[in-house]
Amino acid sequence: MTTRVVLSLFVFLASSVAIAGDIRGKVKAKGWKHSGDAVVHIDKTPGITFAVPEKHAAMDQKNLVFIPHILPVLAGTTVDYQNSDDVLHNVFSPDQCAEKFNLGTWPKGQTRSYSFKEAGCFPVMLCNVHPEMEAYVVVLENPYYAVSAKDGSYEIKNVPAGKYTLKIWHEKLKGQSVEIEVPEKGELVVDFEIRR
Amino acid sequence: MKKATLSLLATAFMILVFAAESYGIPAFSRKYRTSCSTCHYAAPMLNGFGKAFKNNGYRYPAGTDPEMTKEEPVSLGSEGYKRVWPEAIWPADIPGTSPVSVWAVGRINYAAQSDVKWEFEIPHEVEVLYAGTIGESFSFFGEIELENEDNATEIAFPFALQYDGSPSFHVRMGMVHADPTPNHLKLTRNHYNMASFRSRNGWRFRDELVGLEVWGAGNGSGGRGGFTYRLGVVNGQGLSDMNKEKDFYGKATYKIGGLGEVGGTEGAGSEVSEFFLDDNLTFGAFLYSGTASKTAVADEDFTVYGGDVDFWYKRFILNGAVMLMDSRITGTPKRKSMVYYAQANAVFYPWLIGLVRYEWEDRDTGEDLVKPVNAIIPGVTLMARANVKLMFEFKKFFDDANKKNDTFGVQINFGF
Repeated sequence: MTTRVVLSLFVFLASSVAIAGDIRGKVKAKGWKHSGDAVVHIDKTPGITFAVPEKHAAMDQKNLVFIPHILPVLAGTTVDYQNSDDVLHNVFSPDQCAEKFNLGTWPKGQTRSYSFKEAGCFPVMLCNVHPEMEAYVVVLENPYYAVSAKDGSYEIKNVPAGKYTLKIWHEKLKGQSVEIEVPEKGELVVDFEIRR
Repeated sequence: MKKATLSLLATAFMILVFAAESYGIPAFSRKYRTSCSTCHYAAPMLNGFGKAFKNNGYRYPAGTDPEMTKEEPVSLGSEGYKRVWPEAIWPADIPGTSPVSVWAVGRINYAAQSDVKWEFEIPHEVEVLYAGTIGESFSFFGEIELENEDNATEIAFPFALQYDGSPSFHVRMGMVHADPTPNHLKLTRNHYNMASFRSRNGWRFRDELVGLEVWGAGNGSGGRGGFTYRLGVVNGQGLSDMNKEKDFYGKATYKIGGLGEVGGTEGAGSEVSEFFLDDNLTFGAFLYSGTASKTAVADEDFTVYGGDVDFWYKRFILNGAVMLMDSRITGTPKRKSMVYYAQANAVFYPWLIGLVRYEWEDRDTGEDLVKPVNAIIPGVTLMARANVKLMFEFKKFFDDANKKNDTFGVQINFGF
């Protein structure tokens, strides 16, 4: 297991340092209030596997809002949910791919956690005390992803050179995918226009 | 034309007795960008957090109101003016947008003994509600209520201005909360029998109770449960008092377990969570002493006292209250009355709540010829949306005098 992780890391580091390019572009979300919060990601990286990150990701509940609204993570990542409000919050997901988890409720300043196992899963996060609260965890099988800024710009750095499928996911708009070839050096520009 | 319109208005509009504060306040949804169910079990009935919000003077607990407010308030003076006082007016702020909401109520009524057994009373009532805070230390609530009463329009316009020194010390002026029942913002369309029960000269809890009230609340040990109290003096029978005596009342409750009466999350934590859950046991006691006047008869001195129990456990609520009334009118025998009810609610789904209430009312406990009124009220409340409610309610009387007076009603409510 250790050997496999080391080899994976070696391949990853070698590819990212020596022969890796960047992908950047603009997302235009038609019929939506802004062009942010779209997740652009490489679908699969054949031959490269990634160890489960030891570092936990975090999603906060502050002022009755999930922060961030969209959280992409590598499969296996544990997400810590913090309650930063002096009111009771809850986190649950009705999605089967997240085992329909429900973390109950906990006081201000404390966290409860859940590990997302299944890549390709985009579970919604809800609070059953405050029904207006909503967020998404986007579970991916590699770390080559970016969340678009409100102006639609995104950038994925150090992608190993090669042919991939580049996908875009949005909570409300239809996803798309394009075939790309990442150069050994420099950058590739890919723009998206997504709609309902 | 103008004269005719004014004449019509004059005949159609009557000044109505006050109905107690009765609905949810959508303006708070806008202010905090949050759903009705943050505060309501099923509007208007409050959940544990809704009570804590109210107990903080319509504010988020623990001084977090400014950060929870999503709607920027309008400043009526910067913070720096506090340092200049008394050479300037103490600063405050008001809601950024108009804190006005509307609640509309329509009814479909069935009355077994009426000539017109079925009727569409849509609208039954429209309420224009306004509520909010003024700076750190004042809050307000008011409503303009238009209600159909046999094809005449009744109007009421109660309000209250409240000084909020701290959660444990508020002073309320105007419409007060002299109500004997737990969860007085009720789930049913039928009023509680003890709210509608009249003294011999016509006084009742449901009517206009305006005056001054000191009240407050605090958390219990470990931040759970806690106490509430209220002490007040009111006219008793209207905006213009009908007699020279003032009425006095007091109420105290103690909550064991559940969310703290003034909120906060200390000691909280559970594997389950829903907005309607607040496992607790609350006891209450109340006392009201007043004088009721009626044209052409002697004044009535009366005392009302009693207690209540409110038990929330998972999806169920059981509660009940008992009220005793001693009535004294010079030249007539004293009268003692007893009124009580017991109610059970069950949340089948967060949007579907069943309830059944049993009511008993013995106007004169010393007189066997006056038979008690007793009835059962089964009902279902259906929240079609967070702000759209349907209620189906049946009232079945058991006593001989009323046993043919069964009623059934569907009530629709929506607010925005």
